[in-house]
Amino acid sequence: MGDAYIYDAVRTPRGKGRSSGSLYTVRPVELLATALRALRDRNGLDTTQVDDVVAGCVTQTADQGGCIARYAALTAGYDLDCAGLTLNRFCGSGLEAINHAGAMVASGYADLIVAGGVESMSRVKMGSDGGAVWDPAVQWQIGSVPQGVSADLLAMLFGITREQVDAFALRSQQRATAAREAGHFARSIVPVRDDNGHLLLDHDELIRPDTTAEGLAALKPAFEMLGKTFGMDELTRREYPQVESIDHIHHAGNSSGIVDGAAAVLVGSREKGRELGLTPRARIRGVGISGEEPMLMLTGPIPSTRKALKKASMSISDVDLIEVNEAFAAVPLAFMQEYDLDPERVNVDGGAIAMGHPLGATGAVLLSTVLGALERRDLTTGLVTLCIGGGMGIATIIERV
Amino acid sequence: MITDKNDAFELSFDPETGIATLALAMAGRVNKVDEIFARGLDAGVDWAKARAGLKGVILTSAHKNFCVGADIDGLVPLRDAERTLTWVAGLNRVFRKLETMGVPVACALVGSALGGGYEVALACHHRVALDSPKVQIGLPEVSLGVIPGAGGTQRLPRLVGIQKALEHITMGQPVRAAKAYKLGLVEALAPTREAVVAAARQWILDHPRKTRQAWDEKGYVFPAPAPDSEDARNIFMAATAMIFKKTVGTMPQVEAVVSAMQEGIGLTFDRALEVENRHFVRCAISDQSKDMIRTFWYFRNAAMKADGLPSAETHGFKKVGILGAGMMGAGLAFICAQRGLEVVLKDIVAAQLEAGEAHCVAEANGKKHLDAGARQAILDRITYSLDVADLAGCDLVIEAVLESDTVKHAVTREIEPLLAAGGVWASNTSAIPITHLATAAAHPDRFIGLHFFSPVEKMPLLEIIRGELTSDLTIGRAVRFAQDLGKIPVLVNDGYGFFTSRVFATYLMEAVQMVAEGHDPVLIEWAARRAGMVVPPLKVYDEVTLRLGLKAVEQAERYTGVSHADAPAIKLLHELVDEHGRIGKIAKAGFYDYAGKERRLWPGLGALVGDARPAHTGVDVIADRLMLIQVAEVARCLEEGILREKRDAEIASIFGIGFAPSSGGPLAWIDRRGVARVVEQLTALAAEHGPRFTPPRVLVDMAARGERFFAA
Repeated sequence: MGDAYIYDAVRTPRGKGRSSGSLYTVRPVELLATALRALRDRNGLDTTQVDDVVAGCVTQTADQGGCIARYAALTAGYDLDCAGLTLNRFCGSGLEAINHAGAMVASGYADLIVAGGVESMSRVKMGSDGGAVWDPAVQWQIGSVPQGVSADLLAMLFGITREQVDAFALRSQQRATAAREAGHFARSIVPVRDDNGHLLLDHDELIRPDTTAEGLAALKPAFEMLGKTFGMDELTRREYPQVESIDHIHHAGNSSGIVDGAAAVLVGSREKGRELGLTPRARIRGVGISGEEPMLMLTGPIPSTRKALKKASMSISDVDLIEVNEAFAAVPLAFMQEYDLDPERVNVDGGAIAMGHPLGATGAVLLSTVLGALERRDLTTGLVTLCIGGGMGIATIIERV
Repeated sequence: MITDKNDAFELSFDPETGIATLALAMAGRVNKVDEIFARGLDAGVDWAKARAGLKGVILTSAHKNFCVGADIDGLVPLRDAERTLTWVAGLNRVFRKLETMGVPVACALVGSALGGGYEVALACHHRVALDSPKVQIGLPEVSLGVIPGAGGTQRLPRLVGIQKALEHITMGQPVRAAKAYKLGLVEALAPTREAVVAAARQWILDHPRKTRQAWDEKGYVFPAPAPDSEDARNIFMAATAMIFKKTVGTMPQVEAVVSAMQEGIGLTFDRALEVENRHFVRCAISDQSKDMIRTFWYFRNAAMKADGLPSAETHGFKKVGILGAGMMGAGLAFICAQRGLEVVLKDIVAAQLEAGEAHCVAEANGKKHLDAGARQAILDRITYSLDVADLAGCDLVIEAVLESDTVKHAVTREIEPLLAAGGVWASNTSAIPITHLATAAAHPDRFIGLHFFSPVEKMPLLEIIRGELTSDLTIGRAVRFAQDLGKIPVLVNDGYGFFTSRVFATYLMEAVQMVAEGHDPVLIEWAARRAGMVVPPLKVYDEVTLRLGLKAVEQAERYTGVSHADAPAIKLLHELVDEHGRIGKIAKAGFYDYAGKERRLWPGLGALVGDARPAHTGVDVIADRLMLIQVAEVARCLEEGILREKRDAEIASIFGIGFAPSSGGPLAWIDRRGVARVVEQLTALAAEHGPRFTPPRVLVDMAARGERFFAA
């Protein structure tokens, strides 16, 4: 089996995922096309050589419905021969697209794939695509609670406190602010412009540089009413009968932000890169996908990372920098606790709490973030991992070349 | 007028108006949904369609009630999925035939319409009900372990929307006619039977083109929110959470209602009925529905009618004295006054009496369906008194004084002579043997135990205890009294703790024992609920107070001669009360800590039990112990003759102490687990934890003979 190389990674800035957000007026297909165009143009890419455009997208309905990857490729002016695949592994979709591309390339089934993702959360509301998770029969058989309740449960099980999640959130804001100011994202961010070239957004607009510990401490738990009044907490006792009562500690300030955004990563074989005169930035060393109990659902990064490390014949100490998606502050905190990690190696440029989590795109966004950070610090190995609805987890280990 | 009839319906046709009337008139006095009903309706529709100039159909009843639901006798033997499906699908076809017959069909609900009876009304195009508080309407199927099987889960949401339909069917509580109108379960009310039929007739004349159900019309718009809309999804999500919170997975029929509705409402109507059929069949053939039907239908009805109990023409009580104005005494005073009895509520402490009066006033004010005059009339029947003399001439005295034989003997000696001639003395003791208490009475034949449960306004059971000398006439009068108060009478024989207190004590004590052994209290409480118990044991303990619990234990030792003083559970209780002042909820500190509405198990319990850790634990291990200790005690009560019959075991356990309703009762619980398996588990537990688990002879013998309590 061959190796899959990462030649480049771009992303749009993340706009606030509501009607006041800068990217609200941009159709999702255009958002993804923006990333695709940038990837093509800055690499002088001959798109007749691209086998497929694979995009993660979670809420595949309304103007994200159908197979948005194909229409984004066409919108971006890619060659007609370049196909399109849209996939959904919930929050892991963007990284799944990259892993899928890596697998196709490594197996020799494809030579060059653009992988990424898109989510316009301002335009297509999370959950508006329905799904089996809403089906009472599934609830009776398996059980499922809103993710925020899962996050609070996760904190209970790992002994994580409100103070810890708030401190983590503050650090995410501080790191993101510093990264933006220092231009750490300059290499990956592609400004979004309208049809006339008018600039709509060129930076992550959700970051709140003025965030304070006091401000965070004053925020009300977001999932207490769902949990207590609507009885969602009680549902968790089917699997966690020992948890008498859940302390609700997550709120808007320590959970991932709702944003719009897209990302694209160029994945190809060494031979195809040479042929096209491209220089690889990194190589995929190992991937892992995992499934665990779906009610808690947020522990996925732990086992998926274990699998990816095993595939790469590495231990966690071999990894220089880590991006754990900040779906909720408790997720990276639990991950760090499990692997006993130095916080200075994790989410060094901030994360989704500060900058937002455009569901289908985030995995690809994080890949560009960790790659940029490795290059800047001249380090070698990076890990990206995300928790995923339904109890899944995904991880990818890359190594600079 | 052309008339005809079949086995279920009286048929008539008025050529002048073109309206045919199908009046349910089944043999006996009750209309019920069975094969005869289905065939009769099928033939009735054909008969009406054959009338020249047919303009519309009125469906009504010639009996007092419209139709009170499915023939339960027919439901019980259903065990085969295919055969059950054939029957229910056939019934649905007839209902479909009615609503698609091509003329307006109006339903004249001249009396109650329940279950299948209301479902056939739903298969009409319009419903008029008799405006009377006696008329009950709705779909109570879940209370018998099944779901509506004749389109109820599909027609009701299409008529009144998802939210109301879900609430109504999952609660399983029929409503009075006025409420039914408010909810949209019926479209109109009329004051008399004749007016109901006339209104139905007028509706047909006014709506000649209303020949189809809304959902059979092109362009039908589902009452908002639409199926699969975000709002609808949220309603279902909230419903599943609320239902799980209440039933913790012990009521599959309630879950099936939600599933049937959610799955069906987005489908075409005929295929939606198939989905409902599927869920209905699953519930209808289940053990749980059989067990629930036996207890909540047959046993409950028989118990309400006091079948097999000594009877009296009337209780003959006009003036009732209640001794002790605590929660129980005040509650008793109120419910007696509510039934029109003259009540003297007597206490020896003025403050206590005032609190009792405040309780009665609050209760009266809570009766929102009564006007101010009617509420006052209830209160006016109660005399609050500190004076023994006011009790003179009482036909019944119920003492609810301190749980002490000395005190009880004293008040008996003092006050019994004041009874009217032939008057009855009742003790509301929850445990002290009646025969012993009656030794202070001049007329032990008119001395009886009336064990009410708290809160007495709500709790449906009355445990009647026969002392050695209690006469049949006294029992008969007590039974009548129970019926008059709307309580379910269960007669038991005398013995310490009678039946309910004895069994309940095993439940509570086993829980404390497990705490002492180091089982996680959080798991204990949860395991009880998962096993179907209505209230978790440590929570109950806190409510009755740990101190009272300890007193009960000491008292039990006195009467039974069996000491538990060395039991780790008792030591733990003493430690909690004596060293930590954790008396219970009243002190905001017991097994739980209380802060506002929140209640959490006291974290200090872990430290109290030290290093004690059980060899094995977990929800299933704990639940088994909590249930097995109870069912063993129930079997012992049966063996010792405390219980007169199996019916009483089930009724008293479920309605008195909140034994898992989903089980149908402790004996049904044993049957479902298997008698032999129960004996085996008890034997193993006895070896590990002591003789309290020793399987009673009756179970061992049954296991040996391969018997069960109830036919499968």
